[in-house]
Amino acid sequence: MDQKLNVLLVDDSRTVLAQLERIVSEIDDVAVVGLARNGAAAIREAGESKPDLILMDVVMPGLDGLSALRTIKSLHPDIEVAMVSSISGDARKAEEAFKLGACQVIGKPFDTEIIESLIETVRANLSGVANSEAGARGQGK
Amino acid sequence: MSVKFFGQFLIDQGELDASHIREALGLMEAENISLGGWAIRQGFMQQVDVAKVNAEQRRNDSQFGDLAVSMELLTSDQLVDVLQRQREKRLPIGEALVRLGHLAADRLGVLLDAYKTDQAQYDVGEVELPDGLASRRVTRYVIDLLPRFMLRVAKLQVKVGEVRPFTKAPEYAQVRVSVPIKDTRGLDVTLICDSAFAEALASAASGLTIADLDPEMVADGVGEFLNVLAGNAASAVAKEGYPVELGPPDYEAELCDGWVFELAVGEGQAALVLSTF
Repeated sequence: MDQKLNVLLVDDSRTVLAQLERIVSEIDDVAVVGLARNGAAAIREAGESKPDLILMDVVMPGLDGLSALRTIKSLHPDIEVAMVSSISGDARKAEEAFKLGACQVIGKPFDTEIIESLIETVRANLSGVANSEAGARGQGK
Repeated sequence: MSVKFFGQFLIDQGELDASHIREALGLMEAENISLGGWAIRQGFMQQVDVAKVNAEQRRNDSQFGDLAVSMELLTSDQLVDVLQRQREKRLPIGEALVRLGHLAADRLGVLLDAYKTDQAQYDVGEVELPDGLASRRVTRYVIDLLPRFMLRVAKLQVKVGEVRPFTKAPEYAQVRVSVPIKDTRGLDVTLICDSAFAEALASAASGLTIADLDPEMVADGVGEFLNVLAGNAASAVAKEGYPVELGPPDYEAELCDGWVFELAVGEGQAALVLSTF
């Protein structure tokens, strides 16, 4: 994948958004394309900025992260969404997130390495998809 | 570093990915029998009774078993019986992954041991609590985990001191942020502190200098710390089989009663107030 990986960050806490933005911005070829502070704003922003990956909190005022995840995956199934939450250790919440299509659940407080590893995994998956699509086009000639 | 669900731990370890977890969850959903299903199997309830409880659950936030007992459709002894059967027969995610061929059986044992070791840091010790709080499972986690997360999130050394009934907020409490944890009853976890402690906490949590923090960001940093503390406490209690719900931080917390735990902190002044609702 030669293009930058575009990431949308969603959390009601400005502190967490600042932390995540700092971590994500320091990774090569990754761009933060938007910040949102609740689920409704995340859905709107996902449609506008078309990120490759969304890092999203679960507990937020208004529309929560799991409800937003459901809508985002139904509207944009290709966008990868990882939930970043202090309650990710609660199996009910984590299981629901996976069932709704999350690619990972990450606990708070999070380690920088976990975020970096997630981004590399998503980047590798997207490259694999791009390569197999290119291969299929080549075979079709 | 946080309380983790086993599937999340396996992905973190690079053992498998989300698609394997989803497949295992699907198998578990197909095989695991609901509490109502067990009650019917044991002849304690009829299908129509289960439907009544399910309908009531749409209006009432209680768990199926508690509701069935309160509606006199199940006795307490019968509830204990079906809970035990459900627990004993439940297909856990690790075994589901083995059955699907995503993990080798001997590898599962190794990973479960590693998971237990990783999560042992959240085991709770003995905590002295007033009678009104001692019955709340989540309380001991909140108190016990507070110094550990303060060190982890903000690198601040904090010791939980004496507890006494809350009468009124001390003069220094310029910042008051609260997070609700709700099971059958609610518990408000409130951190009260002066601006020096709040700034130190928010600065460390955000990675910004104190000069770069506006007042909203300072309160936000305190709120996020409480969210991490309460969320991990809630996750730990959920692992014991007692799920609770967490609400977002309230930055205009009104305190009227509860118990105050003095916190010995290096910078400024702070205390934790726990109130039931």
